[in-house]
Amino acid sequence: MGDRLYPFECRQAKISYTGTFLMNVFFQWDGGASVREKFNFGQFPIMLKSKRCYLRNADPKKLVSYKEESPEMGGYFILNGLERVARNLILPKRNYPMSVVRNSFHDRREGYTDNAVVIRCVREDQSSVTVKLYYLRNGSARVGFWIQGREYLLPVGIVLKALIDTNDHEIYLKLTCCYNEKYEKGKGAVATQLVGERAKIILDEVNHLSLFTQEQCLQHIGEHFQPIMDGMESESYSVVADAVLRGYIFVHLDDNNDKFNLLIFMVQKLYSLIDQTSVPDNLDSLQNQEILLPGHIITIYLKEKLEDWLRKSKRLLEDEINNTKKQFDFFSVQDVKKVMDKNPSKQISLSVENMLKTGRLITQTGLDLQQRAGYTVQAERLNYLRFISFFRAVHRGASFAGLRTTSVRKLLPESWGFLCPVHTPDGEPCGLLNHMTRTCRVTSYYDSEGNIRDFFKIRMSILNVLVGVGMITSLPKVDHAGPPEVLLVLLDGRVVGSLPSLEVEKVVAYLRRLKVSSASVIPDDLEVGYVPLSFGGAYPGLYLFTSPSRFIRPVRNISIPPGSERNIELVGPFEQVFMEIRCPDGGDGGRSTTFPATHEEIDPTGMLSVVANLTPWSDHNQSPRNMYQCQMAKQTMAFSSQAIHSRADQKLYHLQTPQTPIVRTKTYTKYCMDEYPSGTNAIVAVLAYTGYDMEDAMILNKSSVERGMCRGQIYQTETIDLTDEGSKFERGQRIFKRDHLDKSSHSFIDSDGLPYVGQVLGPNEPYCSTINQVTNSKRIYKRKGSETVMVDYVAVDVKNNKDIQKVNIRFRHPRNPIIGDKFSSRHGQKGVCSQLWPDIDMPFSGVTGMRPDLIINPHAFPSRMTIAMLLESVAAKGGSLHGKFVDATPFSNTIKVDNGETVTGSESLVDELGSMLRARGFNYHGTEVLYSGVYGTELTCEIFIGPVYYQRLRHMVSDKFQVRSTGQVDQITRQPIKGRKRGGGIRFGEMERDAMLAHGAAYLLHDRLHTCSDHHIADVCSLCGSILTTSLIQTQKRAVREIGGLPPARAPKKVTCHACKTSKGMETVAMPYVFRYLAAELAAMNIKMTLQLSSGAGA
Amino acid sequence: MANALRRVMIAEVPTIAIDLVEIEVNSSVLNDEFIAHRLGLIPLTSERAMSMRFSRDCDACDGDGQCEFCSVEFHLRAKCMTDQTLDVTSKDLYSSDHTVVPVDFTESAGYDSPEQRGIIIVKLRRGQELRLRAIARKGIGKDHAKWSPAATVTFMYEPEIYINEDMMETLTLEEKMNLVESSPTKVFDIDPNTQQVVVVDPEAYTYDDEVLKKVEAMGKPGLIEIHAKEDSFIFTVESTGAIKASQLLLNAIEVLKQKLDAVRLSEDTVEADDQFGELGAHMRGG
Repeated sequence: MGDRLYPFECRQAKISYTGTFLMNVFFQWDGGASVREKFNFGQFPIMLKSKRCYLRNADPKKLVSYKEESPEMGGYFILNGLERVARNLILPKRNYPMSVVRNSFHDRREGYTDNAVVIRCVREDQSSVTVKLYYLRNGSARVGFWIQGREYLLPVGIVLKALIDTNDHEIYLKLTCCYNEKYEKGKGAVATQLVGERAKIILDEVNHLSLFTQEQCLQHIGEHFQPIMDGMESESYSVVADAVLRGYIFVHLDDNNDKFNLLIFMVQKLYSLIDQTSVPDNLDSLQNQEILLPGHIITIYLKEKLEDWLRKSKRLLEDEINNTKKQFDFFSVQDVKKVMDKNPSKQISLSVENMLKTGRLITQTGLDLQQRAGYTVQAERLNYLRFISFFRAVHRGASFAGLRTTSVRKLLPESWGFLCPVHTPDGEPCGLLNHMTRTCRVTSYYDSEGNIRDFFKIRMSILNVLVGVGMITSLPKVDHAGPPEVLLVLLDGRVVGSLPSLEVEKVVAYLRRLKVSSASVIPDDLEVGYVPLSFGGAYPGLYLFTSPSRFIRPVRNISIPPGSERNIELVGPFEQVFMEIRCPDGGDGGRSTTFPATHEEIDPTGMLSVVANLTPWSDHNQSPRNMYQCQMAKQTMAFSSQAIHSRADQKLYHLQTPQTPIVRTKTYTKYCMDEYPSGTNAIVAVLAYTGYDMEDAMILNKSSVERGMCRGQIYQTETIDLTDEGSKFERGQRIFKRDHLDKSSHSFIDSDGLPYVGQVLGPNEPYCSTINQVTNSKRIYKRKGSETVMVDYVAVDVKNNKDIQKVNIRFRHPRNPIIGDKFSSRHGQKGVCSQLWPDIDMPFSGVTGMRPDLIINPHAFPSRMTIAMLLESVAAKGGSLHGKFVDATPFSNTIKVDNGETVTGSESLVDELGSMLRARGFNYHGTEVLYSGVYGTELTCEIFIGPVYYQRLRHMVSDKFQVRSTGQVDQITRQPIKGRKRGGGIRFGEMERDAMLAHGAAYLLHDRLHTCSDHHIADVCSLCGSILTTSLIQTQKRAVREIGGLPPARAPKKVTCHACKTSKGMETVAMPYVFRYLAAELAAMNIKMTLQLSSGAGA
Repeated sequence: MANALRRVMIAEVPTIAIDLVEIEVNSSVLNDEFIAHRLGLIPLTSERAMSMRFSRDCDACDGDGQCEFCSVEFHLRAKCMTDQTLDVTSKDLYSSDHTVVPVDFTESAGYDSPEQRGIIIVKLRRGQELRLRAIARKGIGKDHAKWSPAATVTFMYEPEIYINEDMMETLTLEEKMNLVESSPTKVFDIDPNTQQVVVVDPEAYTYDDEVLKKVEAMGKPGLIEIHAKEDSFIFTVESTGAIKASQLLLNAIEVLKQKLDAVRLSEDTVEADDQFGELGAHMRGG
């Protein structure tokens, strides 16, 4: 192993899994020779199983030898021993101009409307700049873009002229080319005759500023932007303007001609939006969205940090060179290094690590992102389903969480097949935190073989194909017609040409065929977004995307003859909207013959997420129940990890004896969920027995629990790091050691100061001891809480070869099912154990003698309609009688098999299951004759009984119960403290008070709010009415002769008032202590509070 | 009475099970409690259990459960030295008393493969070791399921099935077939010679009323009548192996007898009130 640092060591030692980040930096001055120097940029976090990770390409056996789980998938970072994942965030689709109507555009400046066309341009390095094109009331438009947190607005005419050398006439023709009288009001016409007038306004605007040529426009831009552009103070205006155009306007394009064409396109789209010949794009629909991948956020963050560093380095070097006093030799590496020391390079990695640790971006520019925090989350390993959900989750963005409107949370049809409609939490993040479906993937820089893509080559090859099928390439000087005559073709946000609209459909079909058959020419994940001509629908065009971070999913292309082996096409949400994809049931889905289906879903379960896919027969359940199950599956106490022995999580829930479900979906087997089973097949009887199963309570069989059903434990790790705590000079002096004199702790602590493995520890018992070698003072760590725990494991850090300074002690809390623990079936039917009922008192089957493990109430079913749970019970019973697993894949009867019949045919599911029971001599409906366990008499009804897979949820009473009679009180108010951990009480609040008042329970109220809280007897001076000026006077001890045998007489308490200088009129009054505190607070503000005392009922 | 017997069989017939485990070395993958729990659930031959003492009222050892009258000591030492996984099973438990040993299922179940070596406790890989001392004690299923000698116990009232032959004659063969088929268990059959419906196995009847419902549906009420004999039960007892099923029944009767004796003895003593509460008062009163 050598000095390699493996992930498991990082987890245990609570350090970060990082690698050294080295970079070659070139220095050049005034065109002289360049100096090259290697710089250390610190320890950069490494994603597990990435190319730089030791676990890369490790087979399961090797992974186990590295103390990882054999199915380890990586994809997260280890930072300070915690596993963190970067969140997948939704971003607006890149390089696609979108028409947006938003009220806030109105307030930009005078004359603005709420219409704009927005494009998020992304460079090859994933950094992005959003450009907005606002419509002005006078018919003109403004280009808006952000530089360092401020938006700058330029008249569109200036930008157009500055981009290429052109004249007014050309611009006019370009802008109006899409208008043709012939097609006005026809299908697909996007422009009206107003376009010409608006074009004139745009040109007039520029001419008013007397900017006629490209040079003049560049000068104009350069003049205004020079103060903002960093490091361009001495450059000429045109150079500055060039930099502005290059760095902020349409940054995804390199060529100014392309930028010009795109801007023309955007202006046309904007005018079409104004003229209502096209509708605005919905930014909330998945059609116009993509995903922010972990690699991309790190890349752009790193890029910014490096830019900052370079800028600072440049300034430092310049200062040094310009400072003639010092001898500075630029070509001496020593000198350069010395200067660079002032600009520590190691900060770069540290800032990236901090970003991943906290999920917070620290940046001036904002990186064109909507939020500052929440980019990473801790990946909890509560169970496997929860863990993988972190990687499949897609968040809409923190800025939407606070929004009052619910439109962003809506489930839109565009997300069909990409985002799971079932798997979203209910409550606050509902609809914002979605999960990708089972089949959904995201495109990346790598192709399906894992090779890095050359996007330039891909685009060239696509262009060649397009030209081959008759596309007219767009050249800046050639003007072409617009829709509906021809459709513009945009490839990754670049207007590459136009196709005759009658040809487009053929071209699209051809492209799709190539996509499937020859991935070397056309990438298999190319998005062919063909927006057809319509009457005022979406702005038409052919939009092609090759970019990374798009959603894709596979569907079957049925236009390809069935003979060929490859007919699976990857489609994206943008193109899906305009495609005809039918369900795999063999029907046409109500489609008319004019739009025949071209594609077919592969499997109906592909629209559900992995977690939602595991619910058996979810198509028989009421939909909210499936949502609840997705939630509860992620809270289940399950087989959490296969490498528990080498983990040091703060808290790890573990089920002792999990089972595999008898009734399972195909996906369960496909994703090898048996590696991480999460429940028990419990024999469930549905009946109202004893009344302890009311209101979702459930009765567990005591003997079943004693035999090990649903047993589990919590692993909890305490880390003791001696270098971390204590004052500076004390550091390094303390070691783990046992005190030899104190024999009482020897039964708990070994001579090395650490506990014995396997030791049982009660509350407040010591488990660890340290001794300061210099002062010889010792410290003993004692168990907190009220539980008895076992020492499971002790890990020590021996990296620094000296005395042990860091120790992990893992405790095991047994968690056997007790009253109050929460359980749930896989159908959103949760319940709390209300009794552990003796086996003999449970009802038993007359035939088999079987007693149920669990009893639930029949009232759990009618209103919740979880039919699948009943089916599961019957199926599992049949399955266990026949000794086989039962397939419970939802929607399986809708799949057409090759001979044209559905799988189950006429026979219904219930018939199939019922006949299974019947074949083994059981009742067709899954009921059995049960006898009362107490009386031995037959129960009046036949009882529905069968095995159901039950999950044990992590909410357990042992972690939650809170009880207190007396205990710690608050220092200031003398009221009981709050907090379960500290032994505090539960607040008896206002509403509770109201309830007491309503009952007239005055005595109880007094007891709760006063006697049991801050009861206090205060001395009050009735003369001045003050409770603050009284004080106790220590009476001089009079020499009283002690009378033998009798206790010394207590001296009477003497209290005087300082203000009145007398002890006359002193009275005692019972009051809440806070009242006294209030008086003191008021006194501090110069307000005197006086009490008027009167005795008895006369008041 | 029948149910009382069932309850006693499940919960009150004493057996011997491992109750206290002292783990010396455990480097296996399972934790100490888990192994202890598994050991406890291993059935031990408990013929001696009836004559043993409960350790809580054992005079010889003052109830600390270490003497021969109330406890049996077991030892387990296993260490895996090879690359092959070692199965530690109930056969590796060495008892201090040859009458109390882990139940051997190999012969009775008819497995003759050498692989079948009793109940697996834990599997060890190379270098892992398990060393422990365990004490088995007498106990009853009421306290913990590990002391329960019965897996399932059930009883049924013996059914009496009357077939109204006259009415049966009116049925066609197909209807008769349907009738026979209507019961999920094989209670009826058709005599191949006479084509009459006959009762082949009245004990297979589960009181599920399926046949009666069928008869009702055919519009021939009274065709078949089924009554439960009030004074005759059929007991089905499945033992865990600790005690033979037949012995279990006898032991249960013994225990039940003792319980009744206890009631009778204290019938008119004052303690009866304390011991039996309302029941005692009721017995004296009525």
